[in-house]
Amino acid sequence: MDLALQLLFTGIGIGAVYALVALGFVLIFRATNVVNFAQGEFSMVAAFLMVVFAVDLQWPYWLSFLLALAGMALLGAIFNLGVYYPLRHRTFLPVIIATIGASILLANSVLAIYGPQPQVLEGWFETPGIQLGPVYLDSQYLLIIAVTMILVVFNYWFFEHTMLGKKLQATSQDKEMASLLGISVSTMIMITFMYSAVLGGLAGILVAPILFVSIQMGSTIALKAFAATIIGGFGDVAGAIIGGLALGIIETFGAAYISVPYKDGFAFLVLVLFLVFRPQGIFGERVAEKA
Amino acid sequence: MKLTRRDFAAGLAVGITAPYVIGSARAQGATIKIGMCVPVTGPAAEQGLWAQNGAKLALAAVNKAGGILGKQAELVIEDDQTTNPGIVLAFSKLAAQRDIVGFLGSIRSTQVHAMAPDVLKLGKPVMIGGTDPALTHMGNPWLFRFRPNDSYSGRVIADYGVNTLGKKKWAIVHSTDAFGTAGGKALASALEKLGTPAVLDQGYANQSQDFTPVVLAVKQSGADILGTYFTFENDLGIFARQLRQLGVNIPWVGSPSVVAVSSTKLAGPALYGTYGVADYAEDSSEASKAFGKAYRDAYKTAPDNQSAWPYDAVTVLAAAINKAGSTDPTKIREAILSLKKFPGAEGEYNFDQNGDGLHGYNVVRNEKGKIVYDKHIDFDN
Repeated sequence: MDLALQLLFTGIGIGAVYALVALGFVLIFRATNVVNFAQGEFSMVAAFLMVVFAVDLQWPYWLSFLLALAGMALLGAIFNLGVYYPLRHRTFLPVIIATIGASILLANSVLAIYGPQPQVLEGWFETPGIQLGPVYLDSQYLLIIAVTMILVVFNYWFFEHTMLGKKLQATSQDKEMASLLGISVSTMIMITFMYSAVLGGLAGILVAPILFVSIQMGSTIALKAFAATIIGGFGDVAGAIIGGLALGIIETFGAAYISVPYKDGFAFLVLVLFLVFRPQGIFGERVAEKA
Repeated sequence: MKLTRRDFAAGLAVGITAPYVIGSARAQGATIKIGMCVPVTGPAAEQGLWAQNGAKLALAAVNKAGGILGKQAELVIEDDQTTNPGIVLAFSKLAAQRDIVGFLGSIRSTQVHAMAPDVLKLGKPVMIGGTDPALTHMGNPWLFRFRPNDSYSGRVIADYGVNTLGKKKWAIVHSTDAFGTAGGKALASALEKLGTPAVLDQGYANQSQDFTPVVLAVKQSGADILGTYFTFENDLGIFARQLRQLGVNIPWVGSPSVVAVSSTKLAGPALYGTYGVADYAEDSSEASKAFGKAYRDAYKTAPDNQSAWPYDAVTVLAAAINKAGSTDPTKIREAILSLKKFPGAEGEYNFDQNGDGLHGYNVVRNEKGKIVYDKHIDFDN
């Protein structure tokens, strides 16, 4: 029982990380109908920005955090202008290929600037964690879970109860109609890219004290987050969260009770089962219709 | 000007023979050339630079001491791009230069495997740093290894844990890639031979974001000592932190990554008190100390095994050619194999018939972030 509780906590913690990155996938998919394969690299870039500000320049943690997120918003805007916007009238395929290209460019740019050595980023809290009975609660995982919960509420409020959120939703549902109603579609897409980059960046900064800051950190998380998005239902915010958490828990329990080396296998087995039996995911619309 | 038939024939003859004449003149040139395949680009470019530093340092010492066969030695460097196709191309470029008498290959076993067929075809000595035991056991007489192979690391870890630390209940944690699997097997078999079979043999996939299941398995096994083969330092760092967080504080003896500079930096206090095997440890011998000082004087930074083995490779190759008194590949091979108790930065070289020069490891320990030399364990067989 103690073992199961410990595994459950870790599973939710790692699942929350997948969920955060998956949110970025979902938002861009809803706005543009394409999957942004550079989403994981957004996490990696933000983590490296934190290392530059908080470790190399020794600026206060909160200031570094805000600057890194601002940097991500800027990167999202540049990404939109450089990768998505020139190809917006093409089919989804060239855009997806362009995002893959951009992810390789981002990873190698950071490699060229910072070198291959992983870097250390301290967490928000001085205490690494607390022992609660038989379960050890890592403070960074607690923070990640809290931030994910706050973001679920924030996203709901933002998309359902603010004008900007509703404009973004309208754009994602029908660009022509939104345009006829006087909504600037390109601005909405620009905002979506900026917000997604910030979300991806947030995930990267939060997970960096646990996984360290490395070039590969983005791609490993993004692959799982992508699976979480499909399981949850592409295009659904709640689905991304549930999918991420489910994936984290399944792979942690699978590793503990069945086989550690096949940990990733459990995640992708669940993905395959969903693709075969419920391709629209838990909550989502049919992937085939969108693609 | 009118071109006569005789002019044409003479021109043709010169054109055909020129490369051979020039090549032969180069072969009898003023320097002795050593080829080096090394990452100049790609993920290991930084380590490649350290390797070049080591080789160049040895070359300078050789030349200062009179060179090879009375001539100055020269290093011809070719980029292997840190890839298998890259090293095959780099080696074929170097192999085409007939005046190169010996080569330095890679520290990565997979790259050595890739170039090995061409090495066999060329029939000239190639110094390597890859530690897959199979490399010197596949009937290729031209590969000479300058680091102890992985079969020794398992034996040293087991020997140190059982005989020095007096621990009998082992948990083995290893990555499931080629390196980790081979290392884990070597450690398990060494423990069996010592009569203390492991109570847990746990593999994990590289780039795991979480090691809680592995740590809990170690905890539940009741092991009193941990032996590990981690491939990537960030995996090791995550594991070490979670191990301590979940209250596992048993002694830990691991493969070289446990005491690598980047692991020490990433894991911080979680690795204090751990032991690791290391092929290069500065305080292990007078030769290692001398190399460490020379390297620091030249490059203002501490060396590691990435630069130590190329240093030894160039030194041994030069000594062997001088001993053989010839650049004939067979004579060089015989001279290398006849070197006994040859002091190097990595240890004392005693080449066996397979081409393995070293037969043991240093054990070092992490004392509050500082890696200190503990003891050297060598095997006769």
